[in-house]
Amino acid sequence: MMSLPFLLFACALGAAWTSRREAAMGFWVAGIVVFLVLFRIHATEVLNIGL
Amino acid sequence: MTPNLSKLLNALGLVAIDTVLVVAFADQLWFRDLPCPVCILQRAGFIAAAFGLALNLIYGPRPSHYGIAILGAVAGGIISAWQILVYIVPDSGSYGNAIFGLHLYTWALLMFALIVVGSAFMLLFDRQFAPTEPLVARPTLLPVTAIALLLLLAVGNVVSTLAICGLGVACPEKPSGYLIFNDNLSVTLLGKPS
Repeated sequence: MMSLPFLLFACALGAAWTSRREAAMGFWVAGIVVFLVLFRIHATEVLNIGL
Repeated sequence: MTPNLSKLLNALGLVAIDTVLVVAFADQLWFRDLPCPVCILQRAGFIAAAFGLALNLIYGPRPSHYGIAILGAVAGGIISAWQILVYIVPDSGSYGNAIFGLHLYTWALLMFALIVVGSAFMLLFDRQFAPTEPLVARPTLLPVTAIALLLLLAVGNVVSTLAICGLGVACPEKPSGYLIFNDNLSVTLLGKPS
């Protein structure tokens, strides 16, 4: 699962290189969404700071 | 700024990001400094930002491509900043080796900031967006090499991350080895290390 953003970004690059711009954008957006979800899952430590 | 100069600068920027990812890989493989889950995500942030520069090289410079680079860098930068804040209190520890006095996540935040500032700077030059180039331009060596290396690094990170984290959602916070090389391969690949 953690490798999914890399896979989606690799697909985005491959699609862009083969002139499939719309597909490339779709893969990139999907990669960003998965990336943010994974960050939400792994950002478990409480920040010991005062803001 | 002409479209050709813009492409050259984008290619150099892409080479710089490729270099960051190569250094991260070298630190992992040579010094056995395994990346934590958020460290892995920061690598993904670099690839997300580099994608915008790659689009500039493939399709020609467009404001939307710089937007992609900025959004990718901001996403990665948020994660770097979060990790810096986790360890910002003195004696609260750190993760991984320091390079030239700074940890990789601190270098990462500086690089993400540089990508944002660099992309914003490039957006100031409108002439690069003028449609003066022929529709089919012959790709030159530097951009092709930079994009090919980025693709290779993205695929390399798929394999590396699979080896460290397996197929499960959860990844060890401080990985001590490659899950995929454990004895119980079928279980670890499903994300349940024994």
